[in-house]
Amino acid sequence: MMSSIPKWWQTIRIAWSKHTAYRLNFVLQILGPTLVFFFVKYNLWSAVYSTSPETVIKGYTFQEMIQYHVWALVVGLIAQGHMVVNLSEEIRMGRISAYLIYPFNFWEFHTADFLAFQTMQTLIALITIFLIGLSAFLDVPSFQLILTGMTYCLFVSLFWFTLQYMTGLMGFWLEETWMLRVTLRMIAGFLSGAILPLELYPEKLVTFLDYTPFPYLTYYPIKIFTGQFNQFGQAYLVMGLWCLVFIVINKIIWRKGIKMYTAAGM
Amino acid sequence: MINARGLSKQFISFKKAPGLSGAVRSFFHPEKIYKDAVKQFDLDIKQGEMIGLLGPNGAGKTTLMKMFTGIIVPSCGELSILGYSPAERQKAFRQKIALVMGQKSQLWWDIPAMDSFLLLQKYYEIPKKDFELRVKEMSELLGVVELLHIHVRRLSLGERMKLELMASLLHSPEVIFLDEPTIGLDLVAQENIREFIREYHRKHNATLILTSHYMADVQALCERLVLIFDGQKVYDGSLGDFENILGHEKSVSLSFSRSQNSSLFSDYSPIWNDEKTQVELRVPECSWNSFGKDAFQIDDLVDFNTEKLPIEKVMKTLMTNPDILRQMRT
Repeated sequence: MMSSIPKWWQTIRIAWSKHTAYRLNFVLQILGPTLVFFFVKYNLWSAVYSTSPETVIKGYTFQEMIQYHVWALVVGLIAQGHMVVNLSEEIRMGRISAYLIYPFNFWEFHTADFLAFQTMQTLIALITIFLIGLSAFLDVPSFQLILTGMTYCLFVSLFWFTLQYMTGLMGFWLEETWMLRVTLRMIAGFLSGAILPLELYPEKLVTFLDYTPFPYLTYYPIKIFTGQFNQFGQAYLVMGLWCLVFIVINKIIWRKGIKMYTAAGM
Repeated sequence: MINARGLSKQFISFKKAPGLSGAVRSFFHPEKIYKDAVKQFDLDIKQGEMIGLLGPNGAGKTTLMKMFTGIIVPSCGELSILGYSPAERQKAFRQKIALVMGQKSQLWWDIPAMDSFLLLQKYYEIPKKDFELRVKEMSELLGVVELLHIHVRRLSLGERMKLELMASLLHSPEVIFLDEPTIGLDLVAQENIREFIREYHRKHNATLILTSHYMADVQALCERLVLIFDGQKVYDGSLGDFENILGHEKSVSLSFSRSQNSSLFSDYSPIWNDEKTQVELRVPECSWNSFGKDAFQIDDLVDFNTEKLPIEKVMKTLMTNPDILRQMRT
């Protein structure tokens, strides 16, 4: 176990220089879509609330609604940023062959890569909070709230990583997993509260969603940042269990997939 | 060392009809296609041997290499390398082997080779001192000292290949699989790579399995040849025996300053050019002596050539007439 620490550390260092090799691309890929999405939402809600500034929709004032979406952006940055990495491509193009030969496993390599990515991403999220805090959009919460919120977001990112790893492993069977990943993200975006606050949905749906992992992906993390949620035990338990489930499934899929892997194109 | 018994690999793919309707049809009624990439392959290799694995494209060479390195799992048969079963991919096994692929980069594209080397140092747990010494030695031998800190994507193919080779040998592997290591390289670079491999083998007494379409690679490095055709082994023996596989004949070409009588050399199945100034002959080994004496007595003789790479001729003949191979197999 101890002997693998230098392996992980070196992989993380390499991943940092790899991710920053194309600096502009990195920033655009991660920050670009999120920011564009945020401005679409901002303009939309400005229009909705424009008739009278005092309007309250499902308990949200205009200011609160915009804050909700700022936090949705931050949560997305920390928890879902790594989704841009396409694992199935590595399988389909036979690039995993190299990892099958090195005495360092495919999952180890990608988990290290994920960790490296997350540290950079957390930094970007902090800068984002700071910058938006400078503008009037956001009342910057206490340091403690930021810390609790970010810690939980990092935990959620683990959920996304295990799930994304699973869609990646589908590359053993599917030629292209792009549609699968996009569909998954869209559904999750909708049901997790990343697109609209869950209060805006029918009550029955919200009650049902509470039994799924979805609200824990965006809605509750936002509420942690705004200080409106404190059932941490439950939140960590739900995410932790799902991660565990995915890890077990991933192990099974890997074992089955590697048997039929043909290393095409190598 | 390396022992394979009845090693086979069957690939299953799905037939895809063209067009959208075809795609829908093959989605609901997938038509499986079975292809035997390697069939009932037996092989025994001793430590320190250098083996050339030859065969036309699609014969199953790379599939064999993939099975040897544990990248793909055999459909059936037994395989043992250094006492390990490659398909189990134990870390101890992976520590002891290396795979060099001429067609595929193992170095990370976006970082300098030295960074990749440092990563490999950690993966293979190479002591720092050994690592530094090996990097120094190898980079000097290959003349790439200046290239270690340049981003790999900026290097030429030849430069990259040398670094790939270095990367694969840093951990002093006991068994090395080389899959077309000189493909696409110029003659000098090919020669460099060959020389380097030979030197490594001399120093470490490593076992080496090489596939290549360049017979010069094989001739320079391998004492033993294994020929694979249609997934089956059709020849396994020394390089010398392989050269004589089509009989003990040498191919000779002669050039003359003036037209000759075309009845000349009728015993050696001559092929004359139109001007009757050049002739190609096949001379049996037993009449080599008397033929030589006769040929050099002709005053008009200006040039005399025997083939440089008899093995290349044999390979070419076998590939254009696969029937010979089918007969060999039975």
